[in-house]
Amino acid sequence: MTDQNPPRPEILPPRRSPLRNLSLIWLVPLVALVISLGIAWQAWSDRGVLIEITFDNAAGVTPEETTVRYRDVRVGVVEAVEFTEDLGQVVVAARIDQTVAANLPQDARFWVVRPEVTASGISGLSTVLSGVFIEAAFEPQAGAAATVFDGLAKTPLVRPGTSGTRITLQAPDGSSLSSGAPIYFRGIEVGRIETPRLLESGSGVVADAFIEAPHDQRLTTATRFWDTSGFSFSFGAGGLDVSVDSLAALVRGGVAFDTVFSGGNAIEPGNVFNLFPSENAARDSVFNALDADAVQLTVQFNESVSGLEAGSPVLFRGVQVGVVNAIGAVIEERANGPEVRLRVTIAIDPQALGLPEDAGEAETIAFLGEEVQQGLRAVLSTRNIFSTALIIELANVPDAAPAELSVFGGEFPVLPSAPSDLPDVTATAEGLLQRINALPVEELMQQAISLMASIEAVAAADGTRQAPDALLALLEDARGVIGADEVQALPRDIGAAMADIRTLLEDLRTAQAATQLVEALDAAESAATAVTTATADVPALIDDLRALSAKTEALALEDLVSQAAAILATADTLLADPATQGLPASVTAALDEARAAITTLTADGGLVPNANAAVGDLRGVIDDLRTAQSVQKLTDALTAAETAAGDVSLAIEGVPQLVEDLRALTATANELELQSLADRATDLLDAADRLIDTDAARDLPRSLSAALDEARGALAELRQGGTVENTNATLASARAAAEAVATAADALPELSRRLEGLVLQAQGTLSDYGERSAFNRDTLDTLRELRKAAEAIAKLARTIERDPNSLLLGK
Amino acid sequence: MENAASPPHGLTARSAGLVACTRCGRVHPPAQAHCLRCGAALQSRDDGSLQRVWAWLFAGIVVYIPANVYPMLRTTSLGKITESTIVGGVIDLMHHGAYGIAAIVFIASVVIPVAKFIAIAYLALTVRHQAPMRAHGRHRLYEIVEFIGRWSMIDVFVVAILSALVQLNFAASINPGIAAVSFALSVAFTMLSAQSFDPRLIWDADLPEPDK
Repeated sequence: MTDQNPPRPEILPPRRSPLRNLSLIWLVPLVALVISLGIAWQAWSDRGVLIEITFDNAAGVTPEETTVRYRDVRVGVVEAVEFTEDLGQVVVAARIDQTVAANLPQDARFWVVRPEVTASGISGLSTVLSGVFIEAAFEPQAGAAATVFDGLAKTPLVRPGTSGTRITLQAPDGSSLSSGAPIYFRGIEVGRIETPRLLESGSGVVADAFIEAPHDQRLTTATRFWDTSGFSFSFGAGGLDVSVDSLAALVRGGVAFDTVFSGGNAIEPGNVFNLFPSENAARDSVFNALDADAVQLTVQFNESVSGLEAGSPVLFRGVQVGVVNAIGAVIEERANGPEVRLRVTIAIDPQALGLPEDAGEAETIAFLGEEVQQGLRAVLSTRNIFSTALIIELANVPDAAPAELSVFGGEFPVLPSAPSDLPDVTATAEGLLQRINALPVEELMQQAISLMASIEAVAAADGTRQAPDALLALLEDARGVIGADEVQALPRDIGAAMADIRTLLEDLRTAQAATQLVEALDAAESAATAVTTATADVPALIDDLRALSAKTEALALEDLVSQAAAILATADTLLADPATQGLPASVTAALDEARAAITTLTADGGLVPNANAAVGDLRGVIDDLRTAQSVQKLTDALTAAETAAGDVSLAIEGVPQLVEDLRALTATANELELQSLADRATDLLDAADRLIDTDAARDLPRSLSAALDEARGALAELRQGGTVENTNATLASARAAAEAVATAADALPELSRRLEGLVLQAQGTLSDYGERSAFNRDTLDTLRELRKAAEAIAKLARTIERDPNSLLLGK
Repeated sequence: MENAASPPHGLTARSAGLVACTRCGRVHPPAQAHCLRCGAALQSRDDGSLQRVWAWLFAGIVVYIPANVYPMLRTTSLGKITESTIVGGVIDLMHHGAYGIAAIVFIASVVIPVAKFIAIAYLALTVRHQAPMRAHGRHRLYEIVEFIGRWSMIDVFVVAILSALVQLNFAASINPGIAAVSFALSVAFTMLSAQSFDPRLIWDADLPEPDK
């Protein structure tokens, strides 16, 4: 720091050119400004187009928050929500992205998406948290750029741009047409129903429906729609029919369609279809929907037409050809005063009758006129036997009074009617039931019940109860026998015997038995052919037999039944007899004896060695057979059998004749007085009743007890039996018998000849049966003989009672 | 500095024919280009100072406009997107009754930046002209402006921290808006502007220059 002022430092001129003085730093605010302006300009130019959508209400729509979406992509945001000038509606101003706004057509649809819970599901769930949004649907149209729209109150069922066909459904009431209900084609949802509305006349409800492509190709004039919602429940001749559609259809309703006949034409969009209440109705509608060329006829009935209604089918030989249009009464002036007649108007489809497609009314009436002259009449008949609903049948009545199709000017032609035979069936059935009702079934049942009681008493007897114990003991003894060593040795011996038999068979084979067999079979075949020929007449025989059984049916069954009841009563008494009650005790005793016998057998050890010896003998027999050239004999026997078969064949040639004879015989039998035969049978049953009722029959159980005692004795004798020798002897006898059979076979032709003769004889005899008096007399005699025989049996029973041993020992 | 304290109107280095180092305070003869003590560049007065002040100030003001117009925060809560500007946020807070926080946000984000603009402009304008305010006052004002500048970034920090913490996908998420960047730039530009100001000019203008 000095006193004197230091020289001032050289200072640059204070002012320079503003441009030269300008610093580069000014670029910074310039760039910032440019960028800011750029952003601002971009934001302004991109801010989109303001459109106005008019809604009834704007629930949930919030300015600056509610977005506008197209195909679920945000394309704009709501800027303001205002009222229209008259406060009647809400105008939502939304700013839409320019690219979208440029393509907005006038018919673009906007609706507010809110959470919705319907039977078909939940939609718009995401809007619960994020708030509602406005959904846009349109078909982009370049340069359209519309800005004012009417919003929809709810989500549209069909979005613009969906390809398909729009049709109209018509129904008598709106219960089956609910908004949004699905349309099914063979169970697949192919469309939706829009909101139904009343017809202006108020007589029905129509609803637009939309069928999506490609299913809309199924729609033709042959398509029928029906309601599938809910249950369908029907009870008829075909049984109970419950049909439930899918649960969804149950809840929200639904409509199904199908092509019910071929040959429909393509339809134009907007075609009106009728909605039928059920699938059957829809399919039947082919007949109901008679078009303009249906021919109307009038039928007059004298009887009640209760059960007939408009829409009832008209059948022609079982095929529906038309429907009943109207039923009314008309008063006709007759000679004896006015008379009320029922007049039914029917419509007939000429094509259903088989007439050509271009057949007009005149041709149809001409055709029907001819048919009427040949006996065609309108007849009322029931739809089925369970139903009282009536239908009209065009039937050929053979013995109808002559009539013709009367054509009056201005009115429908009158088709003549014939009385129906409706009530007859009921009467017949009633008569049948009454007859069944009259049978004395209760009495029979009563007898059967008391018989059961007697049987129960027998079963409850002490002896019966002891029987099982005795049986058990018997079985234990039998087990002891089987367990014996000798019995165990039996199989070995049997095995050896089998080996011998095999050797025997080898011999048989070598002896050309097969060839013989083949020949025998040939003969049998020719015999079978003859049988076939003979069988040809059998149907005729069967016819005769049927006639015979028809006659049998007419017999007095009631008497027979009461007789049977009486017999049962007698049997009951018999069973109740103390002797019968004593039977079980005897049985028990017999079983005890059998047991004793077996014990003896086991103890002696005699039987089993005997059996062993028997098997040994059997082997010896077989050896004998082999050595005795039994094979040669068998061959001979086969030859003989062949010859016999040939003879049978010959004999069968006579069978047709035999069948003829049989037929004649049956015919004769047909003519018999079976009624009286039945009476005789009744008499016979009476006699049997009396027989059983005799003391002798009552004593029979006691005799049986005695017989069982005797059997006990016989079993005791068995203990010392020499059975083996007997077996040998039996086998030898069998051999002799076989030889005898071979010899006998030779005699067969003779036999058949004799048979033929016998049949002829029988024919003669039977022809005698035709003469009433002789046969009846014979039959009566026979019955008398039978009664005598019964008495003889009674005597025999008495004898047996006196000396039971005589029966068993044959003395 | 003792020179400045003793005379009634003070004596600047420049009026003493010297050049003072702005970093360490040592004075040098005018010809000296670099500080002999710390090596910093010596300059008696920064000629481009005012230009830079104005330039940064303008840049700060320009970016401060979008910072207020555009949303500061984009809050997504359960699918609902809320965009709030600075002033909008303050108003929302007031509506919710949080007057204290509203005042803090308002002061930090609106009052201080605007006050800084005004203060810097005032200082820059009064360098050449007589000012109603004493030089001491203006120097103090400058010190305040420079000190408070960094604290303006508090708003930006809040946004940055919230954006990093609250990222809960659908439930809630916070994202910075355009305004956050703009505001940060504005603060930065304002600080640069304040730094560019050469406070010695205050004294030059204030001196009645009795020595002349």
